[in-house]
Parts: sequence; C-alpha cells; structure tokens
Amino acid sequence: MSNYTTIVSDVLVVGAGLAGERAAIEAASRGLDVIILSLVPPRRSHSTAAQGGCQASLGNCAMGSGDNTDVHFADTVKGSDWGCDQEVARLFVETAPKAVRQMSMWGVPWNRVVGGKKTLPDGREVEDPKEKEGLITARDFGGTAKWRTCYTADGAGHTLQYAVDSVVIKLGITVHDRTEAISLIHDGETCLGVVARCLKTGELRIYLAKSTVIATGGYGRLYGASTNAIINEGNGMSIALNTGLVPLGNMEAVQFHPTGMVPVWILITEGARGDGGYLLDKNHHRFMPDYEPKKKELASRDVVSRRMIQHIRKGHGVDSPYGPHLWLDIRHLGAKHINTNLREIANICKNFNGIDPVNALIPVRPTQHYSMGGVRTNIDGQVYGLKGLFAVGEAACWDLHGFNRLGGNSLAETIVSGWIVGKKMAEYTLGAAELNYQYNNVQGFAKEQQERINNLIAGKQGKENVYALRKEMEQTLMDYVGIFRNGPDLQKAVDNLKEIYHRSLKIGLQSSGKGANPELSTCLRMPGMLRLALCISYGALTRTESRGSHAREDFPKRDDANWLKRTLAYWKEGSDLPDLQYEPVKITELPPGDRGYGESSASSAEGKKQN
Amino acid sequence: MSTRKFSIFRYNPITPEVKPFMQEYTIEEPPGMTIFVALNKIREELDPTLMFDFVCRAAICGSCAMIINGKPRLACKTLTSDLKGTVTLMPLPVFKLIGDLSVDTGTWFRHLSVKTKSWIHSSKEFDPNAPEDRMDNETALEIYEAERCIECGCCIAGCVTANIREDFLGAAGINRVARFMVDPRDERSKEEYFDVIGSDEGAFGCMGLMACDDNCPMQLPLQLQLSFVRRKMVSFGLSIK
Amino acid sequence: MLVQKILTRNPKAELYYDLVELFTGITLVGFLWTHMLFVSTILLGSDLFNTLSKSLDDYYLSYVGIPFIVLVFIMHILSAGRRLPTRYQEQKIIWRHAKMLQGTDTWVWVFQAITGAAIFALASIHMFVVLTGWPITATTSAGRVEAFWWFYLVLLLLGEYHAGFGIYRQFVKWGWFPRKPLGYVSKLITVIILTLGVAALWVFLQLGGA
Ligand SMILES: Cc1cc2nc3c(=O)[nH]c(=O)nc-3n(C[C@H](O)[C@H](O)[C@H](O)COP(=O)(O)OP(=O)(O)OC[C@H]3O[C@@H](n4cnc5c(N)ncnc54)[C@H](O)[C@@H]3O)c2cc1C
Ligand code: HEM
Ligand code: SF4
Ligand code: SF4
Ligand code: FES
Repeated sequence: MSNYTTIVSDVLVVGAGLAGERAAIEAASRGLDVIILSLVPPRRSHSTAAQGGCQASLGNCAMGSGDNTDVHFADTVKGSDWGCDQEVARLFVETAPKAVRQMSMWGVPWNRVVGGKKTLPDGREVEDPKEKEGLITARDFGGTAKWRTCYTADGAGHTLQYAVDSVVIKLGITVHDRTEAISLIHDGETCLGVVARCLKTGELRIYLAKSTVIATGGYGRLYGASTNAIINEGNGMSIALNTGLVPLGNMEAVQFHPTGMVPVWILITEGARGDGGYLLDKNHHRFMPDYEPKKKELASRDVVSRRMIQHIRKGHGVDSPYGPHLWLDIRHLGAKHINTNLREIANICKNFNGIDPVNALIPVRPTQHYSMGGVRTNIDGQVYGLKGLFAVGEAACWDLHGFNRLGGNSLAETIVSGWIVGKKMAEYTLGAAELNYQYNNVQGFAKEQQERINNLIAGKQGKENVYALRKEMEQTLMDYVGIFRNGPDLQKAVDNLKEIYHRSLKIGLQSSGKGANPELSTCLRMPGMLRLALCISYGALTRTESRGSHAREDFPKRDDANWLKRTLAYWKEGSDLPDLQYEPVKITELPPGDRGYGESSASSAEGKKQN
Repeated sequence: MSTRKFSIFRYNPITPEVKPFMQEYTIEEPPGMTIFVALNKIREELDPTLMFDFVCRAAICGSCAMIINGKPRLACKTLTSDLKGTVTLMPLPVFKLIGDLSVDTGTWFRHLSVKTKSWIHSSKEFDPNAPEDRMDNETALEIYEAERCIECGCCIAGCVTANIREDFLGAAGINRVARFMVDPRDERSKEEYFDVIGSDEGAFGCMGLMACDDNCPMQLPLQLQLSFVRRKMVSFGLSIK
Repeated sequence: MLVQKILTRNPKAELYYDLVELFTGITLVGFLWTHMLFVSTILLGSDLFNTLSKSLDDYYLSYVGIPFIVLVFIMHILSAGRRLPTRYQEQKIIWRHAKMLQGTDTWVWVFQAITGAAIFALASIHMFVVLTGWPITATTSAGRVEAFWWFYLVLLLLGEYHAGFGIYRQFVKWGWFPRKPLGYVSKLITVIILTLGVAALWVFLQLGGA
C-alpha cells in the first residue's frame, strides 16, 4: 500500500517560468495531459523580473535596419566567446523572430515603431521609416551590432510571462503551484517523474510521467549578491545532478551583470545603458570609452563588468560601507523618458534607495546575474544520461550562450527553446510506450526523501545550523569565485565548500519541521546547492584559460588549442567533488576569432597597446 | 544600533488547536531595513517556523503583500524607517491563509483569469512566416498600462466589497478586463464582455470607496479603469438585446 | 429580498439597479440641497418663507414633487439597499475589516450604510409629520422644530453626511471627475448646506411656535 499520493500524467513540467510554460503549451496543444509544478504561482516566476527585452532580428527600427539572422548569429557566437553550440545558435536565431511574432499574437504589447526623426541621447539623428510604423521596434543592448532587443516599456519579462500563462490557462493546463520537486525518479535508464513536497502542507507526493521537463531557472542565490529572485537556488539542476547519471554543462560560466544597485543588488536593466546611460567613477569621469572606444558602455556584459572592477581596483571607485562602487548616470535622458520608458528603474531607485534618478546618480557594482551552465541537453532538449528527461531555459545547458550570454538572448531562449524542445518532447511522448515502472523502485525514491526529512527533524545526523552554512557558502563564492578568478583563490573556494558540504550532511532542524515549515525546505535544498557550488568552483579551477565570463588572472588568454570544449560535471554517489569530463564544442560556421571588444580584442584600447 | 519591535500574526492550519495570536519580536534596525530584510532576520535568528512569501524582493512579482500597520502593502518595498512604532504585520484578508503571513493568492488570481477569460480571443491562425500585425505604439502603451498589475492582491484585501462578496472580482479583475477591451487583437463582442463583467460580480459590484486606488503598489490608475469599464458596461448593456 | 432574486435572473438586472441607484441618488441629493435652500429662506424672514411655501403650493409643485420624491426615495432604498450586508456573518466581516484596516474608506462605507438606514426611519417620520400638519408655514415649522430640534439636528447631520459622501462616490465611480478636486467640492457644498441648515434651525428656535 502506498503512503503517497501518486499523480500520473503524460508530461510533467517542473518549473512554470517562461521556458516551462512555453514547453507545456506545445505538449498540451498536441492533446497530451500536462501537469506543471512550481514553487510559486507561475506569474511570480523569476521570468517576470526581466525588464530589458528579448532579441530577435526583425530589423524594423532605423538602428536595426540591415539586421538579419546571420548578424544575430555572429553576435551570439562572439558573445559566447566561441563557447556555444553553433547548430543550436543557428536554430535559435532563425526561430527568434517567429517566436516574438507569436508572442505578439498571444498578447504581448511590444513597443512599436513610430515613424519620423528623433535625436538619440548621444546627439545622433535617426529617422524611423514611415513604412515600418506599427511594426515591433527594438532597443540597443550590449554586444549587438544592431538594435535588436524587442521590449515592452520596462516589462518585457512580465508581459511575456502573462501572455504565455494566459495561454496555459486558456488550454486549461493543470498547475500545482507551491510544489517543489525534491528528487527525480528513474530506473537508471529512463526518467519516470519526481518526488515533490507540497509547500502548503508539507506533504510528499509522487508525480509520474512519460516525459519530465526541468525548467527551474538559474542558481543565482548561491551567491550572496545576486540580482536573482530568492527562489533561484538551482533546485532543478541539483536534482538532476544527484542522479549521478546526468551531467551539468559549463557550470563555471557565471555571468555578472554590470549594474546591480548597491546595497540591495536589485538589477538596473541594461536598457538604461542601451537608452544612453553612462558609467561614471568617483570623479564623475565617464571611463568606459577609455577601455572600449567602440562599444563603450555597451560592450558585452562580461567585458563591462571586468572593466568596472579593473577601474575600481585602480582606485577610482566610490567608497561606501558596502564596498567600493561606481555610478550609473541617466540624468541626461530627461524626466519624461525616465518616467515612461525606464519607469521601473525610477521606482526601484526611489523605493529601495530613496533616490530619484532624474537628478541623482545610481550606485552600481557588478553582481551575479545569470547561469550559462545547467543541465546538459542535446539540440532537442533531451538531457544526457536519462531517457524521457528534458531541460529548457536557464536551468538547461542547451548551449546557446557558451561562456557569456548576451542581454536579451535569454528571454528569447525561453520562448524559442520552449517551443522547439516542447515540440520534440511532445513528439517523444506521443511515441513513447506506456509508463512502465517498478512499484518498489518508485516508492523507494519517496521513502528516501521521507527518511531525510525524518532525520533532519530528529537531528539524527547532527545539529548544524542551515542558515549559518548558507551564509558561509554565499560568502565563499563571492570572495573566491567572482569576476576575476585565480588558482589559489579557487583552490580555497573548493576546500571551503567541501568542508561546508560535509557539514551540510549533518544539518539538524531547530524547529519542529511540521507542515510547510520553511526551515525544512531550506535544509532539504542545502546539500544540493553545495554540490552546485562545487561544480562551479572546481570547474573554474580546472579550466586554465579565460573565456567569456570566466576570467582567470593567472591565465588571461583564451586557449582554443586546449579548451575549446565544454565541461560536463557528474556527481558520483558518496563523492565530495564532481567528476569532470569534457566534450568538444561544435563549430559549424564561425571559427574562433576576435570578439571585437574585450581585453584581447584589437579594437579595444588595451588590445591596441598589446598589438 | 536602534531596535525595532514587530508584532506578527501567527496561525498554522496544521495545528488548529493553537488559536491565532500576535507574537512579538525585537530586532536590530540597520539603516535602510525593509520588511523583507527584517522578516528574514527574524526567521534566521529568532524563529525558523515563521511563514511568509518573497520571490523577487524588488516589487515586481507581487508575492509579498501583507497588512503592514493597517495598510495592504508590498513588504519588500516597505522601509521600516517609514513606519512609526511597533510594526504590526497581518496576512491579507479575503485570500486563503496558508500560515502566518502567507496567503494563497495564486489560486485566487488563476480563478480571476479563468472567470474573466483573460486571454486574447482571436480567430486568426498564427503564420510563422508572416510579418506581425501592425499596432499603434500608443495602443501598445495603453495596454501595458493596465497589464502592469502584478496580482499582489492589495486592492482586493482593502476592498469592502471583496470582503463581503466572495465572487467579487475586485479592481484587479475589472482592470484586467479593461486591458483586453483596449486591445485591438481581442475580438470579443459587447455581449461577451458584458457577460464576463456586466454584473455585481464585476463592474456594478464596486461601491467606489477607492481603497484599491489608494493601495495599489503599482499605482495603476484604478479609478479610471473602474469607471471606464463601468461606463462601457452600461453602453454595452443598453445596446445589446 | 424576493423581488431582487426574481429580477436577478435577468442578466441585465444589476445594470439597471446600478443606473437606478445613480439616478435616484443624484435626484435625492438635488432634492435635499434645494430643500435645504428653501428651508433656509427663513434666514431672510418669515414672510419670504411663507410666500415660497405658498407659491409652491399654488403651482401644484408640492403635489407633484412630494409623491415623486417619495417614489424616488423608495427606489433608492431598493437599489442602494441591495448592497447592505444582510447576513450576520457578513456584518462581522465588515466590522473586523474596518477595525483591522487603517484606511478611512471602510468607515466611510459603514457610516454610509448606517446613516442610510437611519435616514430611512427619520425621513419617513419627518415626512409623515410634515404632511399631516399641512400646509407649511413659518409658524408651524417653528413649532415643530422647537418641539423636536434634536430630531432635526440628527436628520440634518445624517442626511448631509450621507448625501455628501454619496454624491462624491457616485461621481468617482462613474469617473466624470478626478478624485481630489471632487472631494474638495463635495465637502465644500456639504459645509455650506450644513451651515445654512444649522442657522435655519437656530432661527426657527428663536421664532418659537405660536
Ligand atoms: C533581474 C533580471 C533581469 C533580467 N532581464 C533580462 C532581460 O532583459 N532579457 C533577457 O533576455 N533575460 C533577462 N534575464 C534573464 C531571464 O529573465 C531568465 O534567464 C529567464 O527568465 C529564465 O526563465 P526560465 O523559464 O528558465 O526560469 P524562471 O523564470 O526562473 O522559472 C523557474 C520556474 O521553476 C520553478 N521551480 C524552481 N525550482 C523548482 C522545483 N524544485 N520544483 C518545482 N518548481 C521549481 C519556479 O517556481 C519557476 O516557476 C534577467 C534576469 C534577471 C535576474
Ligand atoms: C435624504 C434622502 C437621501 C439622499 C439625498 C440620499 C443620497 C444618496 C446618494 C447620492 C447615494 C449614492 C451613493 C452610491 O450610490 O454609492 C446614496 C447611497 C446609499 N443610500 Fe441614500 N439617500 C437618501 C436616503 C436614503 C435612505 C432613506 C436610505 C435607507 C436605507 C439610504 C440608503 C443608502 C445606502 C445604504 C447607500 C449606500 C449605497 C452604496 O454604498 O453604494 N439612503 N444615498
Ligand atoms: S472602488 Fe470598488 S473595487 Fe475599489 S476598493 Fe472600492 S469597492 Fe473595491
Ligand atoms: S491592481 Fe494593483 S493592487 Fe490590485 S493586484 Fe494589481 S497591482 Fe496589486
Ligand atoms: S517579493 Fe516580489 S513583490 Fe515583494
């Protein structure tokens, strides 16, 4: 007899962000029975926080004219520092314009081209063509040759998520929110579903499905200072890793966003710089043109972040109780522009810092922002190592982003890969045999989780405090696995994290753990989070080159001869370090070359000196 | 450093024998402390059982609404320095209580979307190779203005009508309908809109007390939207048979 | 409320209720304010008051106007009264809500409902007394006020409160004017009418019944 409620469907999507819901729609519209699990109601997923926009080479606005999928492809590959899978990138850029138009049909009120002359903040005159009036327009984002980032004022992610969720509701797709997947169920070959814990009652449930999709977003909250929502703890990645069969790809590739607002680390969108904002140092000097004469503030994120830290290290930072920072200046954009197109930024500054960006400078510093790495899949979104398991969105390493994601490419990835992977997953499910599982095996997975819970409550393994461990982990990653990395620091990080990991196996609950106890939730996640932290640090320690966001001070150059490959991290049971393997990166169109910006580029100021 | 006293509503449905009560906590108050920071501090240092919800902690996702010193507000963007004396925290009324400060807004708002059929009703088939239909930029901005609602529930919790009538869709619901009415892509007829909201559950249920308008953390122009929908419903209602 | 139950089957019933509430509300406010202006002609002397009363009588305005107002009064009670919470459970919710939430809005509404119910009783008595003492003259009115001044004061305060906030909320609901200036104007008018009303009461008291 089973103690656990068991719920069976054709497809189980873990994660109700943009990627998960988009994939669910593909399956449901082919008549499959779909259930979505989510920590929070779908519309509260982290995707809604994306403010900037979504890349697609529509080329409608004047500054985007001449854009096409080839230009977008080249930007993406360069942005990734040749770390991405070029087949995936090609598929992505070809689909993005269609996906954006589809979103328009589903209700996203994309901003539109308004014909006529206008003056850009830097004084340039442009004229948007009358014949394009009313088509979807775009704004400028870092690392792109054309203006390609489609947007809805300051709420691209919000409107996308609401539109996609409206279709989920229209199709009547079942969503179990406040439900956390805490373990995958598999038989060594095929994924059969998940064990989940209800965050309303604390009850454990078994979900079984022919296909399971991991769409759980990023792991930003492993870091102490992150722009991510507090639920972004990399859950989905860790349950995949825990199987011992599924590898995580390129976990050392962590993106830092140049403009997290000090001290709350809320993101100030790249749109601020795209619309003409400047970065200033303590002397109010605009320093980016000194380093990057061509792209200035709009070089790719990894480059801008490093330039900022470099500039701070030279002593040009503004001192504060929260460490040195720099200024973001958007005052010259004017009150009207700031209060309409950048309203959300204005609100954030007012609410969380008590400043009005119309006449004040915004304190900013590079902050953890995005995880390029994730559950490694093939081009169809199928996870390595287990049949019937798929991954999409930020949780996946489909490998569109390589070692650095371009701003606006990740919202685009969610709707594009959600569509493509959703379709492939639906086809797989339709062709799959009936669910075939061993009762005892399935129950065993749930019992194992129940036992963990019992042990935590009883304090059987020890009495370590989960919040203390968590702080130590966050601090270790911040201090030693940040923007600039080096061997000794990374070694220290690995050693510390190993030690914290062992202690995390001895956590004991302080409270009763009854019901939807929040402390218990954190305790259950903690060892998994530490495994991810170890994958990141150990991967970074081992990769002795600099590529994209992975900047080694002791190995400052990209090393294509040895490192044009993707890290695959496996976790063997009982181990305290990941087992790292590598696979080659697929180069189909654009051979490794110069990015056109960044430290090693011929067009950047230092690059010139070096040449 | 100065300290601050909090008085927090406690009730856990799994232990119904413990009646609801107010519990007091005192913590240090660094400058710039928000209720988000304070509650996490209380949970991590004083009481790991305390239930509350935060997601974005940046006033974007709508998870953290609660009654703060008698007003429905987003806890993540409320600075304690803006409050006087003891900070009293209660869960939002109307919504089902999950425990302590945590309420189930998700189910309520999904019901709202189902009830108001909140999706674009269009007979068009998507053609992946066709360019998008054109739209005036002004129209796009007008839609976005209403679409900015983050489903936080502040307007519902403060609304007398929503507190008496279980089926009242509140300002968020009426605003949602306004969002689709101004959208040229939505092909719904007058009859269909009237059917959705032309009743006391919707437009005519509102009594014009404007607690919603005062409490919306997104500063949505709710009075305008409510009256816009009300007038539209009268003209739709009078013109259909 | 059987009538409502039957009517509610019509999908447009609530629309009609809302319109009736709007028109009767505005008419009653209009009536109340004109009525107060007429009453306060007493400030300018008994002769003017008597002349006005007589001319309204002579031109049959009273005979058309009063039944009309009574009808509107009843219709208003039916349409606006539908919002009154009838069940004990609901009333409890309102009180809890009003106490927990700091905003004034809930109290405004609670008062609106209470004053409405009180006016229903007081205004009916008032009308009955006036109609049975027909015609209206300065002397008869003064007599009534002297005997029941506290009754009139209460009715005046309740009626004005109810009318002032009522009209404000109607306009807000229909969105014809922005909230802030509207609140100002409606408060100003209320204060003027109240002053006139109290002054009129005072004069009547001074006059005394004959
Ligand atoms: C502040 C900010 C701004 C951004 N702006 C932009 C931008 O302008 N342009 C751009 O392209 N990208 C932007 N990004 C990146 C982009 O928003 C994200 O990468 C993207 O939204 C991720 O979508 P997702 O669907 O993969 O995951 P999410 O939206 O993070 O969704 C994850 C879902 O998984 C659920 N979940 C997680 N774990 C579990 C579990 N164990 N069990 C059940 N459910 C679970 C969650 O509840 C959630 O529903 C931004 C990111 C941040 C942090
Ligand atoms: C002097 C006569 C009266 C005047 C001038 C008057 C005026 C108004 C007005 C203008 C409103 C509109 C507010 C609205 O609809 O939202 C209103 C509401 C109301 N009236 Fe009256 N009224 C009078 C008598 C009465 C009586 C006798 C009752 C008896 C029950 C009553 C009960 C109500 C109630 C309960 C409301 C509240 C409706 C709501 O909140 O929407 N009124 N009144
Ligand atoms: S104005 Fe209407 S919707 Fe808003 S609080 Fe009042 S009754 Fe509720
Ligand atoms: S309308 Fe405003 S208060 Fe109401 S749910 Fe939406 S954002 Fe919150
Ligand atoms: S936590 Fe998202 S709005 Fe407060």
